[in-house]
Amino acid sequence: MIKKISMNAIQSLWLPFALVAAWWVFSANSEDPFFPPLSVIWDQFVFLWVFDNVPIHVVPSLINLFSGFSIGVLIGLVGGVIIGTNQGLARYIEPSVDFIRSIPPVATVPIFIMIFGLSYEMRVAAIAFSAIFPTMLAVIQGMHSNNPTLLDTAKVFRLTPFQTLVRVRIPAAGPIIFSGIQVSLQVAFVVTIASELLGSGFGIGAFTLIATDTFMITDAWTGVILMGTLGFLVNVIFNLVERRVLRWYLASKKLS
Amino acid sequence: MSTGKVIVSAESVVMDYQTPTGIKHVLSDISFSLLEGEFASIVGPSGVGKTTLLRLLTGLMKPTSGVIRINGQEVNSPPPGLAVVLQDYTRSLMPWLTVEKNISLPLKRLGLSKTEIAETIELVLTEVGLSGNQKNYPWQLSGGMQQRVAIARAIAVRPQLLIMDEPFASVDAQTRFDLEDLVLKVRDDFKITTAMVTHDIDEAVYLSDKVVVLYGSPANVKEIVKVDLPYPRNQVASRGREEFAELRTKIYAQVRGLQ
Repeated sequence: MIKKISMNAIQSLWLPFALVAAWWVFSANSEDPFFPPLSVIWDQFVFLWVFDNVPIHVVPSLINLFSGFSIGVLIGLVGGVIIGTNQGLARYIEPSVDFIRSIPPVATVPIFIMIFGLSYEMRVAAIAFSAIFPTMLAVIQGMHSNNPTLLDTAKVFRLTPFQTLVRVRIPAAGPIIFSGIQVSLQVAFVVTIASELLGSGFGIGAFTLIATDTFMITDAWTGVILMGTLGFLVNVIFNLVERRVLRWYLASKKLS
Repeated sequence: MSTGKVIVSAESVVMDYQTPTGIKHVLSDISFSLLEGEFASIVGPSGVGKTTLLRLLTGLMKPTSGVIRINGQEVNSPPPGLAVVLQDYTRSLMPWLTVEKNISLPLKRLGLSKTEIAETIELVLTEVGLSGNQKNYPWQLSGGMQQRVAIARAIAVRPQLLIMDEPFASVDAQTRFDLEDLVLKVRDDFKITTAMVTHDIDEAVYLSDKVVVLYGSPANVKEIVKVDLPYPRNQVASRGREEFAELRTKIYAQVRGLQ
């Protein structure tokens, strides 16, 4: 068991470690102001982010991320179910959905600035908007791919359409829906950073931008590393949740 | 093995499909009936329309003309008191639910109390030989066991009519014999009227009181063969009887169009 875990750890971590080690070594004597030695970056990282500036910058970003993400996913779920179960409605709405979701989310931020000004609402709205579509499209696809045997069984047992939807169709689409939600999370993270690049004093993106503008390059590097780390952690947590909820799906796949 | 009351009847049922290339006539003038407690198998060549007939019996489809009645009522949509066991148990049992949640799903509509539901689950699981498996998930069980759960789920609602669509086609031969005997036992204990579609003629003869042979394009009822083998039936003794061989040969010849 311990052997298996350490084998796993070695397999997944050797490359990051190797890259970081290489970076450390090759930058050790760097005099380039834009590429300080990794050791210097690391010292500054610890100084800034462990843990003094966390409440000032990290917490606002995360709050925005989770608010916007939750709102967006909720709209995506409800909208997706409505469109996915309603063929007539889908015909009128789906083409527009396809069009809107093709717009790169970061590019929509200026539009939200126009509507909401440079405010907290603007950021949450932009994040929420970007999070809607990956989830919505996954839900629609999930509703379409329900297998007929399951639905026949539900019909013969005389479940009402609502019961069939909630107890059969949505759980059956669980795997697809979760993969859509994961994409929503990733997009929301990107837009969180992007939304802070204008008119916000606080937030990881804001911090990194201001550091770059004021030539505090080492600080900017720490911001970038922080973004990567946080994005990774958020995804890890998501995967843990997914693994718990979709236990049935993952286990049954292992057997087939 | 029957009280004589007609539970299911098909009266001159015709089924046509619209296809891009024109109308396909699948079933024509299908008439038969099942009495209470009877076990009927429906056999015929591949593609003749057996599953179509089953879908009509369950109310999942409406006939083009003719009438299907269950308990005297015309069937236009799935009627109450019906239960199904389908061939593909991986797709009819809900994989995200435990065995007990799977069985309790159709029970919810019956307004039973929580204790009654738990007792029913225990009863049917014991009947199919899976007592104690309430908290397991379907994918943790073997194929034969999953089909037993499907059977347990079907009998839990005490259906008027049990419909089975090639229920044992997806399990291995040994398991198939066990499941056939389970069906006989369930039938003995619960006296449920049953209609089963199968490709396996031996199985049809072994389990049934009568065998409905479908044949032709469009299909009609070529013959309804009465199976008079005595009860209780037994894999070794019953299958070894002369009548068994005669019946299966006769039915097989009809399905193959040789008679």
